[in-house]
Amino acid sequence: MKLLVVDDSNMVRSRIARIVQRGALGSVTIVGMARNGEEALRVARQTPPDVVTMDLTMPEMDGLACIPELLAIHPGANILVISALTDKSTAIRALRLGARGFLPKPFGDEALQLALLDLMDRRI
Amino acid sequence: MAALKETDLRMFIDSVRRYFDVTCRMPPEITAAFLGTDPLPTHDFNGIVSFSGRFSGQVIVSLPAMALRELLLMQRETDLSDVNLLDAVGEIANTLAGNARQALGNALEISVPSTLRGRAGRPARVRAHPYVITFRWNTYPGLVCVDLEQVA
Repeated sequence: MKLLVVDDSNMVRSRIARIVQRGALGSVTIVGMARNGEEALRVARQTPPDVVTMDLTMPEMDGLACIPELLAIHPGANILVISALTDKSTAIRALRLGARGFLPKPFGDEALQLALLDLMDRRI
Repeated sequence: MAALKETDLRMFIDSVRRYFDVTCRMPPEITAAFLGTDPLPTHDFNGIVSFSGRFSGQVIVSLPAMALRELLLMQRETDLSDVNLLDAVGEIANTLAGNARQALGNALEISVPSTLRGRAGRPARVRAHPYVITFRWNTYPGLVCVDLEQVA
């Protein structure tokens, strides 16, 4: 599985990378770590990811703006939104834009693994 | 401007507890919640998220360096530089502010976090007496200031 991690926080990006590289997710290759939507699009153009973890509140290009553009580049990408914006309308909006899952922040290690496993099952 | 309700303040207290409990399975002890006066008794590392839309103000999360180092170590982070400590405190502020939308709705617009190093007291923006929550996490003190008003 090729994974792209998108979040403006280095702490979150590094944590996601550590969680996916151990445990039950099998072989995961992190193809990029992006700090905003624009960086994510640059990475996706070079190496199309299978799965993307996508923050929403980010500088320059936020997650809600990035999701449709990323899917236009790579329609097969499975996007898991990981955001502190936990109101229902934001989650619904992200899903309508094409995200496949929504994990609220703060999140535990197990919750992230389960959300990614769920996404990968649906991909298969 | 309309003041926040007690339930809104409780939501922030619950969010502080939940952040540390979920992230590192070690909930903080809330030591006090009170109406603060300027300057706020902040610590060395501060994360600030501003509110706009139907609300105005900011939430400030303030922690000493040792607390943030410990938080990062618990997440197996090896980069304990000041830049990463500021990033961590900004992300905590972002999470608490974002979670507030569950109760206050999506009319609460939040900024990306800004960060500030130094103990210089930071003034409240919209309230003469902002809500201050103090807590102790893993022996370290911490502070969250909720300086928030609903715009009429």
